[in-house]
Amino acid sequence: MSVQAYGAAGVPEIDSAPTQEVVWHHRHLLDVDALTWPEIELIMRTTDEMKGILARPIRKVPALNGRRVTTLFYEASTRTRVSFETAARNLSADVVSISTATSSVTKGESLVDTIRTLEALGAEILVMRHSVSGAPYLAAEVFGGHVLNGGDGWHAHPTQALLDLYTMRQHLPGGDLRGRKVAIVGDILHSRVARSNIWSLTAAGADLWLCGPATLLRGMDRWATAWGDGAIPGHGRFHVTSDVEVAVRDADVVMALRIQRERMQGGLLPSLREYAARFGLNAERVSLAKPEAIVMHPGPMNEGVEIAPDVAVSGRAVITEQVANGVAVRMALLYLLAGAHETGRPHDAHSGEAIR
Amino acid sequence: MSPRAKTTGAASAAGPKVGEVVERFELEKAWLVDPVSGREGPGEIVVRDGVLESVVWLEGEEAQGVTDKGVVVGPGFFDLHAHFREPGFEDAETVASGSAAAAHGGYTTVAVMPNTSPALDDPGVLERIRSASRASGSPVEILAFGAVSAGRAGEQLSAMGELADAGVIGYSDDGAPVKTPKLLRSALLYAGMLGLPVVEHAEDIELTAAAEAHDGYVASILGLQGWPAAAEVNAVSRDLGVLADALADEPRARLHLTHLSTAASLDLVRRARAAGLPVTCDVTPHHLALADEWIAGSRRWSWEALSADGGSRDPWADGALTAWPYNTSLRVNPPLRTAADAAACLAALLDGTASAVVTDHAPHTVVDKEVEFGRASNGISGIETALGVLLALVDAGKLSLAGAIAALTTGPAAIVAGWPAAAATPAARKRGLTEGAPADLVVFDRADRWAVTEASLLSKGKNSPLIGRELSGRVLLTIAGGKLAYEDPQA
Repeated sequence: MSVQAYGAAGVPEIDSAPTQEVVWHHRHLLDVDALTWPEIELIMRTTDEMKGILARPIRKVPALNGRRVTTLFYEASTRTRVSFETAARNLSADVVSISTATSSVTKGESLVDTIRTLEALGAEILVMRHSVSGAPYLAAEVFGGHVLNGGDGWHAHPTQALLDLYTMRQHLPGGDLRGRKVAIVGDILHSRVARSNIWSLTAAGADLWLCGPATLLRGMDRWATAWGDGAIPGHGRFHVTSDVEVAVRDADVVMALRIQRERMQGGLLPSLREYAARFGLNAERVSLAKPEAIVMHPGPMNEGVEIAPDVAVSGRAVITEQVANGVAVRMALLYLLAGAHETGRPHDAHSGEAIR
Repeated sequence: MSPRAKTTGAASAAGPKVGEVVERFELEKAWLVDPVSGREGPGEIVVRDGVLESVVWLEGEEAQGVTDKGVVVGPGFFDLHAHFREPGFEDAETVASGSAAAAHGGYTTVAVMPNTSPALDDPGVLERIRSASRASGSPVEILAFGAVSAGRAGEQLSAMGELADAGVIGYSDDGAPVKTPKLLRSALLYAGMLGLPVVEHAEDIELTAAAEAHDGYVASILGLQGWPAAAEVNAVSRDLGVLADALADEPRARLHLTHLSTAASLDLVRRARAAGLPVTCDVTPHHLALADEWIAGSRRWSWEALSADGGSRDPWADGALTAWPYNTSLRVNPPLRTAADAAACLAALLDGTASAVVTDHAPHTVVDKEVEFGRASNGISGIETALGVLLALVDAGKLSLAGAIAALTTGPAAIVAGWPAAAATPAARKRGLTEGAPADLVVFDRADRWAVTEASLLSKGKNSPLIGRELSGRVLLTIAGGKLAYEDPQA
């Protein structure tokens, strides 16, 4: 077995089972807020390895052979679920897939009972998507294995933020985001993608700008103000604006977020047409960004609303790369979590350290 | 129990059982607090045949070594706002378990809210509660608020007159606000005619639909749907406006705003009281001592989360997040607010805008709390921890010991005394250490810390965010109406 060294943290060759050499002590991945920058870099390097596997003619390695991954999705999702399941199968894990439409959840079973049942059925790694913020934290409290958050409410979508970060690094010289301007435009208020990206991109040192109509930016200004003076160790400041041109001008990365039709019923937006006219990423607005800037979208897209069709398929768009990188990032995380030291109850994983 | 104390009761040489008359109880060299006379200091008490026979204030050498940091004696506490869940939700609490919990918390009188099932909207339900109280054997006095509206549905008035005849001390649709300003106006007039108040849970439910946590920095980061301060401010201004209007027709109309939680709404009450409106309000221990940052995993008291300029400190910046986030025992209505709002609750208590601390004791079953944060029932099981939380304020120098005890005794009694029909009833009696009156008192030890655990709480509701924490002021003895209500097993 050849071991490729990465500084202090050794990552073993992926074809072998995870070993203690992996310096990774998180039992769960619930959000990126709990990760230090070196840990994020470890994920990025491990993702590089996974990309190597995905480039092979046969994309399957035995790293998680016999390990049991269960995906539990309480919200409809195509790409995230398929991405996780593909990632798990690429690592030879056994995958059980549960959606609420076909489970006892429709009979009124509580989340806690469902988790306990899945554990009794042998689930080791639980990938969970839930519409209520914080639900994976409850799952992690009762589940004996590992919980990987596949998105909770408005709160967090850590694998999306990490695949976004990975994709940005691929396109920036030296993979360095420090000082690079990243503009995220759309429905920030309801976005778990935006919240997780705030943690990861401020850790990466990016010049982060969040942009949207005032109704969809609620609460973000006070957050940005609180962090404005570099208050949070390991995280820089970020900016909030309703002026899309200010956000996009000279950006290295421009990301659009999905606008949902329900927002009109909630009285938050006059119309999709007005949104598209004022905030949609069209060719003219994207031209304000740097010439080499990339355009991203976590999907699924409403073409013609938050992003113009020609922008979505332009040479700048890296949206399908995001999807491909998503599989590699999720392989990396499954791999790291499966090798994490067993530390008992989730509280112990932090051994008195602050849980960020 | 120290210093020297001896309790004997009617039935056994080993001491009385709960519900039995305390034949003889003597306590030497304790710190007595009498909020009626305003006096506190070293003293001794003797209870004989259920009567507080003597209260002796010690001076000079006799008083030496007795401080307010040890065993304290005060009048039994009066909770103006609790939920004992009976009838209808006996899995969460019963009158018996609630009474036991109350006595463990030092309470001898509890006013229960009418959001039972069926709602307490006619005298039959009140009789069920009274009968459950009698059957429990607990001497804790149970008072009740009747519902404002039939079935708490917000459509038509409850059987207000019959409820008054049966002895309710006021009306509330608590758990929700009185649905419409029009109904509130009728309720204030009709209740005013009866000499009783409307007790209002002030919430603009349009603004709080689907809300999960105080609309602030913490909710923004945690992705929780915001519960704006404006929801309470709007409701309070509606209520004050309707009260002013109703008073023109019925000068005996009275409004009591319960569990206020924001600086802005308390300020509205402060100004209304200064203008002479007959409005009173109360605050809860959790809104005084906890802040929304607890949901993120902070466990510091609200005053420790206050910045020098009176704003809220950042628990992320401070590295103050030590507990698992999204603990559903912190989901409560109104929600935990900012440290600055908690400071405003304290300021309101200190300047008399709020004259009582009430527990809003809201026990829930595991089924209702061991769920996703946004789906958990609102409420904190708090009747056993109220004293300990107020003593934390005292320990921090934010509140005097006498002030804390007054907020639990004479404060609520004075509110009730302001309601014409209740003023002459025992509910409004002065709650002091009065010689010759039935013994109604609590003895606790500030030097004795106790661990809040599921096992140490007598309430069926284990939904306390303080579980796992130690509080000072272990209650050693509670005597209600001359009868034993609680005695510490180790005492």
